[in-house]
Amino acid sequence: MSSREQYLLGVKAAFPVILGVLPVSIAFAVLSEHSGLNAMETILMSVMVFAGASQIMALGMFVTGAGLLPIIIATFILNFRHVIMGACVMNRMQTTPMWKKVILCFGVTDESFAIFTTMEEKNSTASYFAGLISVTYGTWVLGTILGCAAAQFLPPLVSRSLGIALSAMFIGLVIPNVRKNLQLGFLVIVTALLNIAFGQVMPASWAIISATLLGAFLGIFFVEESSEEAA
Amino acid sequence: MKMFFLILGMSLVTYLGRLLPVLFFSQKNNRPRVEKFLRLIPYSAMTALVFPGVLSVDSDFVAIGVVGALTALILSWYGMSITVVVIGAILVNMLMYAM
Repeated sequence: MSSREQYLLGVKAAFPVILGVLPVSIAFAVLSEHSGLNAMETILMSVMVFAGASQIMALGMFVTGAGLLPIIIATFILNFRHVIMGACVMNRMQTTPMWKKVILCFGVTDESFAIFTTMEEKNSTASYFAGLISVTYGTWVLGTILGCAAAQFLPPLVSRSLGIALSAMFIGLVIPNVRKNLQLGFLVIVTALLNIAFGQVMPASWAIISATLLGAFLGIFFVEESSEEAA
Repeated sequence: MKMFFLILGMSLVTYLGRLLPVLFFSQKNNRPRVEKFLRLIPYSAMTALVFPGVLSVDSDFVAIGVVGALTALILSWYGMSITVVVIGAILVNMLMYAM
């Protein structure tokens, strides 16, 4: 397959994600407006940071009067999960030149990681990833612009309901695989319990990272993969 | 100006987290256990991102997160596409807020 075809395949695979990303980006822009940022600052944050959860968290900290450094440190901690996700993504790009990976890694997000790493390994190429992140990044920035424009008109009923979009998308990505292999369901339950336990003793962002790592580590011993699911 | 430095700082630390694996995980990893670990990470990561955080998606109205997540769970269990799963969960939450 030519790299152009792979790119287009990635673009196509990203279509369902538009629906997960768009509501969150609109919700971010509406919240940002309410937090006192102007449209220019709101859009700039989406263009430069491209990490939804941390952007929404930053707004929350900003309105409570937090200083720059605490917000930046919290951003680093919350987004530290990208190191693990990036490792999974880059593991599939071993033949890709370094300079390309330095650019492509900007597009490592919860969504692009989720789609890319649940794809069959032979299909998940660097060009495919480029197609994928063109759509997720474009949607994120466009949704932010839309949200800024619509902030005054959007009924609260709609903007509040958008909050569930991201979780719904992750559930939609995990469950079909759980149906194929119920041991993955056990992994899900173990990880959820670990996350609750860690959440009692550390900030949520660290709990997420710890539960992700320990859950997958334990999974090595109890999840059996058939050759089909290993793909 | 203060806001610009905040955005710049946030973008630099976020990009740093994305760049680290490019610099340190680029060699082929042949150990099957490490490979398996990396293949399982997506499932544990998505679980940790959703649960229990989804319960406080609206901390004043806990049922929003519970029912929204259950809707997504049921729809995806019965083989609906991600698009349907996401729209379904949003619509159910809209109905709950409207009631």
